[in-house]
Amino acid sequence: MNEMLLVVMLAGRRAALPAIEVNSVIELSEVTPVPRAAAHVAGIAALRSRPLTVIDCAAALGLGAETTDWRRQRAVVVEHDGHLYGLLVEAADDIVAALDDPRPLGADPGPGWQAAALGRVETETGAVLLLDIGALIGGPGESLAA
Amino acid sequence: MDDLLAEFVAETREMLAALAGEIVAWESDPSDRARLDTIFRFVHTVKGNCGFFDFPRLEALSHAAEDALSDVRADRRAADRRLVDAVLAVIDRIGVMIEEIERGEPLSEAADDLLIAALNGTADEAELQLVQAVGGVTASASAAEQRTIRLPVELIDQVMSGVSEMVLARNDIARRIQQGGAETGIEAPFSRLSALITEVRDAITRTRMRRIEGLFATFPRLVRDLSAELGKQIFIELENGEVELDREMIELIRDPLLHIIRNAVDHGIESPADRLAAGKREAGMLTVSARQTGNTIHIGIMDDGRGIDCARLAVKAVAAGLYTEEEIAAMSRERKIELIYEPGLSTADAVTAISGRGVGMDVVRANIEKFGGTLEIESLPGEGTRFLICVPLTLSILPSLTVETCGQTFAIPRSYVEEIVSTAGGQLEFAQVGELRYVTFRERRLACVSLGTSLGLEESAAEAQLFVILRLGWGDLYALAVDRIFDHHELVIKPLSPGIMQSGLFVGCTQLDDGTPVLVLDVTAIGHAAGIPRELHRPTASAARGASRTEREGLRVILFRALCGERRAIAMSAVEQVERADASAIRNSGPDAQIVMGEEILPLVGVPGGIELPERLTVLRLGDGGEPIAYAAREVLDIATLSGVLKRVGGKPTVVGVTLVDGETAELVDCHALFAAHAAQGAVAHSLTCKLAGEDGWMRNFLGPIIEAAGYRLVEGDEAADIAFVDPSSGAEAEGTARKAIHLRSTPGEAGGADSIYRYDRAGLMAALMRAGEELAA
Repeated sequence: MNEMLLVVMLAGRRAALPAIEVNSVIELSEVTPVPRAAAHVAGIAALRSRPLTVIDCAAALGLGAETTDWRRQRAVVVEHDGHLYGLLVEAADDIVAALDDPRPLGADPGPGWQAAALGRVETETGAVLLLDIGALIGGPGESLAA
Repeated sequence: MDDLLAEFVAETREMLAALAGEIVAWESDPSDRARLDTIFRFVHTVKGNCGFFDFPRLEALSHAAEDALSDVRADRRAADRRLVDAVLAVIDRIGVMIEEIERGEPLSEAADDLLIAALNGTADEAELQLVQAVGGVTASASAAEQRTIRLPVELIDQVMSGVSEMVLARNDIARRIQQGGAETGIEAPFSRLSALITEVRDAITRTRMRRIEGLFATFPRLVRDLSAELGKQIFIELENGEVELDREMIELIRDPLLHIIRNAVDHGIESPADRLAAGKREAGMLTVSARQTGNTIHIGIMDDGRGIDCARLAVKAVAAGLYTEEEIAAMSRERKIELIYEPGLSTADAVTAISGRGVGMDVVRANIEKFGGTLEIESLPGEGTRFLICVPLTLSILPSLTVETCGQTFAIPRSYVEEIVSTAGGQLEFAQVGELRYVTFRERRLACVSLGTSLGLEESAAEAQLFVILRLGWGDLYALAVDRIFDHHELVIKPLSPGIMQSGLFVGCTQLDDGTPVLVLDVTAIGHAAGIPRELHRPTASAARGASRTEREGLRVILFRALCGERRAIAMSAVEQVERADASAIRNSGPDAQIVMGEEILPLVGVPGGIELPERLTVLRLGDGGEPIAYAAREVLDIATLSGVLKRVGGKPTVVGVTLVDGETAELVDCHALFAAHAAQGAVAHSLTCKLAGEDGWMRNFLGPIIEAAGYRLVEGDEAADIAFVDPSSGAEAEGTARKAIHLRSTPGEAGGADSIYRYDRAGLMAALMRAGEELAA
């Protein structure tokens, strides 16, 4: 069975997340900033009674020049190592089926993307970059170290 | 009906299980009244329940046992071997019957009549053999599995978080109902629902609780094994294992407890030979107890060993370069015991297999403090050591204080909060030393840490007004400056993702009633990150005074630039406050200078005559516990520790000597001389009190001030006074309350009589006062 992918817009580009790991896509009503946290941590929000660490994906990739306004973004809710995270993306609308397994990237997808890319996946709507949720959560520091 | 039956079976089985230990104990000591009562209650309950369910044989059996036991209770019968055997057989038989009832089988035929006969003491020997046999048969049956439900912890957590969400939703609805204002008719059902939710929350919180017994139960074995290994004899006593604690908390305190017990066994309790030599029993005693006080659990670990060897700790601390010998010498015993918390210090000379694992008490304390607990140590040399761990009942619900800084709300675990103080009342004294600010709180100088700065938030321009005094474990206090303080809350603490925990500033996150997420501060980490130096926590009152201090090495001083341009140093503990003042607040520039500080007029020193005063100057307010003195300076330069040699200088009465600080000279101010000179200037204070009885206006306005200026204290009303001034207009009753009276008259000369003084005869008045004082003193 082919994997289902959630197609998101991130830093003006299309990218994909494994749909099976996505709990929901929500709009955030309240984000509390966290002092002294890494730059890509936009803050914490509450999903019902659970804390949600909001990740600025563009910053995590090292792409966002200025801090993203979470009010105009949507949050992809994922669970990672027992904690809930909200990944901020510009849009998340489509769920498409992958036509094949992720393939290694033929060429460098460009600065930033490389760190969080699992590979390239063909879909009905064209090839997209499959992102590594763990790398997004880890932020730029961690992926550099890896 | 079936449900009730199942309930009966379950309950009886539970009681049987609980009884197992009691029976054995009773068997070995049939005269034990408490055990007897427990067993009696059991058969009594079974009998009562049987009547309801119609089990005539079970009823007859339990009834007979009840009768026999009640005779024993009433001392009508002795609990002899035969009776005990019979009762035990009956209890076993009840167990068998319960099994049969549960399986829905008819009750088996057995020698019930024989058992009853044995109970009544009417059976003969042969029958008694049978009784024993009945008991033997049933022994295997009682091993059946207990009927309890085992739940995965995740499920309970899920229910718990569901209930937390219900609480949030309820709070939300409550707010909306309040905002709506108008009667909607749902208030009553809502308040019922609300109460129900609270009930469910309490119940589910209880399901997370576990008896601390489970943890305690592992200690005897541990102590036995360790003491065998070390060739020691140690008894362990466990108290109050039934105290209930959040299961997560039990896991968290496990390691610290084990560590402390290991230490006690290894270092605390001496070898049998040493103990005998010290006049103690050969076997050491280790007591572990638990107590609940409100929302806190106190766990005490007490040994009767040799106590903490402070002298050795001190030697090690010096050897490790943590303190100088002078500093150690000045320490109290309590303070020396605290050395055990210094990283890398241990009283053990050799690393042993048991406690020399490189993890010191500092780690133990840090681990306990991490979840809002505290650790205290008391130790008496030769008599033993007591550790007291206090932990909150549960991790998940934490009483908290919410505060705001830079527009953001944070929560502080309430167990850390000592007090909230505000500058609004004008009660706080500050000292600005370099970039650090100190506030004086209960005679301690506490470092002020700005929460905003610690968190890297933008700092508001206004000076901090509001402080939360926080206590970190062993009396380490500091003041956290915040913008606003909201409220106390009972907050449900949730873990944060590792990315956020990395900063080490937070312990978790929580939600306010309206669902807003709020971060819970790790006040210990914030305090340490702000670098609050330890010696500043010591009470300043205990520090030695004045000149004697100059002889000690390592004197902490404030360096400042005096008005004459010299760099000077002054003992830090003598400085109560550092303030800025206008030159206009100073009068009489020169040796008799005075300055207005707040509502006080203080003598001002450090102002050389004939010097042009700068428009604004810094004033150090010095105190020796009595009347303060102000010291004028251009600016405060730094704080430093004096280590160099002090060279005496001549010609400067207020300077002890000159020393080098960072390669530059600094004159050390002679606080002793300053206060001595000042004290000589001040009026001689009398301990005597005066009362003015008579024509109010004149007495108060004319006479009062000169008497006060002479050093007497004025009292009013009915308060007893030593000396009363009486004029002819007032009656004799005023005189009666004072020990001595001075009579005044309004005409000069001798007209008023020799025993009174003309009221404008000032010299006469003063002489009369002096005489009265002398007579009183005699």
